Amino acid sequence: MKRLSCLLVLALVISLSLGANAAKIIELTYWTHTDDNRTVIENRYIAEFEKMHPNVKVKRVVNEASKMGDLLLTAFSANNAPDIFNLQIELEYGYMMQNRVAPVNYSAIGYKNAEALKAEYLKGAFDAVTMDGKIYGLPLELTNWCIYINKKIFRSAGLDPEKDYPKTWEQMADISDKLVIRNGDIIVRRGFDFRYPYYLVSLLPMVEQLGGKLVSDDGKTAIVNDQAWLKVLKFMKEWGPHGRNLGSPTYPAPRKIWNKDNNDMAMCLSGFYQQGRLRIDNPAFFESNEWMVIPFPVFKDAVKDVACSYYGHYLMVNAQAPKERQEMAWKLIAFMLSHPMEYLEKVNIIQPRQDMLQSREFKSLPYMDVFMSDMDRAHSVFLHDNGYQFERYIKEAVEAVMLSKTTEQQALNTLRERIQEVLDSDF
Amino acid sequence: MRQNKRFSMEQKKARWGWTFVAPSLVFFLVFSFYPIFNAFYMSFFKKNLLSLKPPVFVGLGNYSYLFKSSLFWQSAANTAIFTVGAFVPLLVLSLVLAALIMSRRRFQKLIQMILYSPAALSSVVAALIWLLIFDPRGLANQGLNTLFRTSGVNYHWLSSTGMLRLSTIIVYVWKYVGYFTVVFVAGIGAIPHSLHEAALIDGADRWKDFWHITFPLLKPTTLLVSVMAMIQCLKTFSTQYLFSKAGAPTRPIDVITLNIYNTAIKDHNIGRASAMSILLFLVMLFLTWLQFRISKTEEVSYM
Repeated sequence: MKRLSCLLVLALVISLSLGANAAKIIELTYWTHTDDNRTVIENRYIAEFEKMHPNVKVKRVVNEASKMGDLLLTAFSANNAPDIFNLQIELEYGYMMQNRVAPVNYSAIGYKNAEALKAEYLKGAFDAVTMDGKIYGLPLELTNWCIYINKKIFRSAGLDPEKDYPKTWEQMADISDKLVIRNGDIIVRRGFDFRYPYYLVSLLPMVEQLGGKLVSDDGKTAIVNDQAWLKVLKFMKEWGPHGRNLGSPTYPAPRKIWNKDNNDMAMCLSGFYQQGRLRIDNPAFFESNEWMVIPFPVFKDAVKDVACSYYGHYLMVNAQAPKERQEMAWKLIAFMLSHPMEYLEKVNIIQPRQDMLQSREFKSLPYMDVFMSDMDRAHSVFLHDNGYQFERYIKEAVEAVMLSKTTEQQALNTLRERIQEVLDSDF
Repeated sequence: MRQNKRFSMEQKKARWGWTFVAPSLVFFLVFSFYPIFNAFYMSFFKKNLLSLKPPVFVGLGNYSYLFKSSLFWQSAANTAIFTVGAFVPLLVLSLVLAALIMSRRRFQKLIQMILYSPAALSSVVAALIWLLIFDPRGLANQGLNTLFRTSGVNYHWLSSTGMLRLSTIIVYVWKYVGYFTVVFVAGIGAIPHSLHEAALIDGADRWKDFWHITFPLLKPTTLLVSVMAMIQCLKTFSTQYLFSKAGAPTRPIDVITLNIYNTAIKDHNIGRASAMSILLFLVMLFLTWLQFRISKTEEVSYM
């Protein structure tokens, strides 16, 4: 009996000590979106980080990019969110505004303060994630879009891509008209087409070129400068099936078919990352020197030279995680982001760190000068607590003029009414 | 004697009955009843899904907002159009197909299997298949151009208001007609064969047999199918969601469920979304009650 009691006590002591050891283990959960190239390098960084910190275990969870926003929102609303995550900034903004993410722990990532951190990055890289002087995320990628051109299609229409590429939106429509091939009403080859759901990134700058804004600077009035909006809506109406029939949201997404080089799509709007995908999808076309990148056009009578807005994916830390986990999470993020050149080479994403941006390797990448000069004349994507709601309403306005008989004025009136209602509500 | 009284056969049966029913009852309480109750409760509050602040009581504020909202009424109209447009063909087609299947002597099971297979397909896959078909260069335009001997006419399956609504109805009917056909086949199979034989002896042809024997005796099945189909149609979501994500205009297909999703998940307004869910629930409850009320006649008996 005594022996049995001793054994039981021993077992209890062992299990307690094991439990105590287990308690010391810090388990971090990191949610991100699918990207096979990034998964390979980040898994390696995580393994290295776990070796450097034997008490840390990291669980990297990959979610479908289109579902990531919904999944994360559900997890946060159930108070069961991951320690680290990334999303596009338009979605992350709400998390920041609702205090669901923690400010950067500067000492944990080896910086004295916010200024020291900012000094190492491109000017404005943290504007979108700065609130009350505190920075809430580190950039995993910063992206802007330019126009990719298939030179062969230009030449097949008797155009010289080097000289005849569109500089204004009016030229874009005219050139697209020359490039388009139709079977009756049905388009079988498009010159250019827009990235339709992403109106805050690519359509709003077009309005701004003409002096318009979505919301006034004081945040109280919806739709600034009706004429600018009406001109853009008219341009979109002309673009659609009831106008010059150059494209429509119901055709396949241009950037997905442009890579195929199968005479379907002459131009598409995309980021530097398109080159990485092209290299995988169609290596022959990638190596062929038959494509080029040009700047985001402006309207002929533009009052402001604004390029396509840039947006980012920032790595953020859950504010509800215990302090110890938050600190380790920032350390892991800083460790992963200390390899900007590998992210660029293997994943084709730009982390706006000065040391990399100034490097010769970076500057010599194909058409990087075009992307960077467009970045200079662009600003961060429009951010608002209700940004996605606004984008949905802009989508409805554009679709109404392009696909139905709604006039530009009617569409604008409805858009103004809806956005104003949101601005006036205290939600 | 007392023992027998305490544990009579009926009571024993009842106890075992409760034991077997309990898991599904618990499941229903946790996954159906609690969310309904919670949605009802939340519908009286203003709450941002992301906010850590406690919800603010607004009474009937969410409901009064919805009754004044043109967007909500647009969604209600879209739901009504879709429900009528999909419910009627679903009911009629599945009944006709079931009657045709039962009139055949061979391949009954095979035809049922083929018709049922779209119901087993995931909604995402189904929508993707149909998006390819409705693409301006897809099979739908090619088919109509061949049929009408035209060339290059774009029927705007995914862009014009009427055609887009029709497209969602086609996808839905295609997906679920097999399911309801199988239910009707089971109902027709349950009618005693002797009744059909008696009708034939009395000189009825197949058409009369169907209208005077099969159809009246199918009333409980028809009621079941109509209630199930109507509730399914009112709850439609995935086709509209995937079509609008693929570039189709949202306004003509912004059904209530899609509005609920956007309000809760995109706008984070869980209180207003809950109020919409409760209104949709009440409409479904009322329509179900109405259907039972209208068809309230004597029980069908084969005796």
